Amino acid sequence: MTTDKHRQDAQPAFVLHTYPYLETSLVIETFTQNFGRVPLVAKGARRPRSALRGSLMAFQPLQISWAGKSELKTLHKVEWQGGQPFLQGMSLICGFYLNELLVRLLHRDDPHEQLFLYYQQTLAALSTQKDYTPVLRHFEQRMLQELGYALILSHDVESSKPISSDQEYCYKIEYGPVSLKKGSNGSGLKITGKTLLDMDQDDYSDAVTRQQSKALIRYILNHYLGDQPLHTRQLLKDLQQL
Amino acid sequence: MKIPISLEDLTESLRCLPGVGPKSAQRMAYHLLQRDHIGAQRLANALTRALEHIKHCEMCNNFTEEAVCEFCRSERRDSGLLCVVEMPADLMMMEQAQCYRGMYFVLMGRLSPLDGIGPREIHLERLLKRAQDGLVQEVVLATNFTMEGEATAHYISELLHTRGVRVTRIARGLPVGGELEHVDSGTLAQAVLERREI
Repeated sequence: MTTDKHRQDAQPAFVLHTYPYLETSLVIETFTQNFGRVPLVAKGARRPRSALRGSLMAFQPLQISWAGKSELKTLHKVEWQGGQPFLQGMSLICGFYLNELLVRLLHRDDPHEQLFLYYQQTLAALSTQKDYTPVLRHFEQRMLQELGYALILSHDVESSKPISSDQEYCYKIEYGPVSLKKGSNGSGLKITGKTLLDMDQDDYSDAVTRQQSKALIRYILNHYLGDQPLHTRQLLKDLQQL
Repeated sequence: MKIPISLEDLTESLRCLPGVGPKSAQRMAYHLLQRDHIGAQRLANALTRALEHIKHCEMCNNFTEEAVCEFCRSERRDSGLLCVVEMPADLMMMEQAQCYRGMYFVLMGRLSPLDGIGPREIHLERLLKRAQDGLVQEVVLATNFTMEGEATAHYISELLHTRGVRVTRIARGLPVGGELEHVDSGTLAQAVLERREI
């Protein structure tokens, strides 16, 4: 059975999103370790006594089996892997943010094995840590790197000199940081050398770094996300304003 | 053969129903016109009447023909308790279980960030006003135990906590009469995590 290339058994996966399909089924967007983002039909998952219901939860490690030749394949089996505490409250909303990023930025059937592991580690970190900022920034950076849009944080892309912490830079999309000369105002985001170095070191203890790194990541993500804003970002913003 | 405009219009209109694609819409339209003229007339009248008369209750947001629905007018219900549910069907289930004698608020949805449904879409400002009417002592969150329902519950609880309202969440775990042997792993894992002292 395993020789059939249209059938995959016991693949490590997470559910990113589900939506109703026909009368009693669900379409689930899964993020699998070996096949990337795979959309599947979970037949009968919305029936009142469906055993799939309790298992097809987002943010929980699963092992799933599917088969099919078309783009939308059919889910056959879900096995609960466990060991991952449930996300609650604010960490749950951060989890939605991760999922929205993945749904929007990953192409279907494009494997990202390393990103899968980062995602798993990030979920674990979200469920245990109080301070979400470093966790989210860390994931966003790794995700950009895995998608081929890695940030350049160590040197000036024009002069190739290392970043100096007390200098101002201008970060240009798909280019990198360029030392900001007096009087010049090119397109890009103004950022201090210290922020770039802190981000390179994953150090988010400084308030300015937190604020500027957020702005930088947002600036870059917006470029790749296009016109449609992230819904979870709005939700997070609303919640923080309370 | 050219399809008459009114028939095309009918088929197109039927497609606004969830799960109805072009083929089903065509089948429904032909059925109504071919075999069930009386049924079609009844459907048309019922739709018009419902659209004219049904509105949201001023207090609980549920569908009603009056300004304030029967539930909210009842004097026998405990006005100190306010139960928040996602859909009218959830309210009916709560009533069927006969376990709750307080008031309700129906959100008519849930926060679902990935579908673009945010706080503005689920009438939260009305819920806040309702919960602060001076009579409500406790808000019981009975949104679904899906990730979206949980996010909704969290969001509402944060909103109400900052306003000094007591908020509780219905409990979850094994179904009544349930056996460990047959329960799904997710439910069991959560039940163990949320175990309580007895």
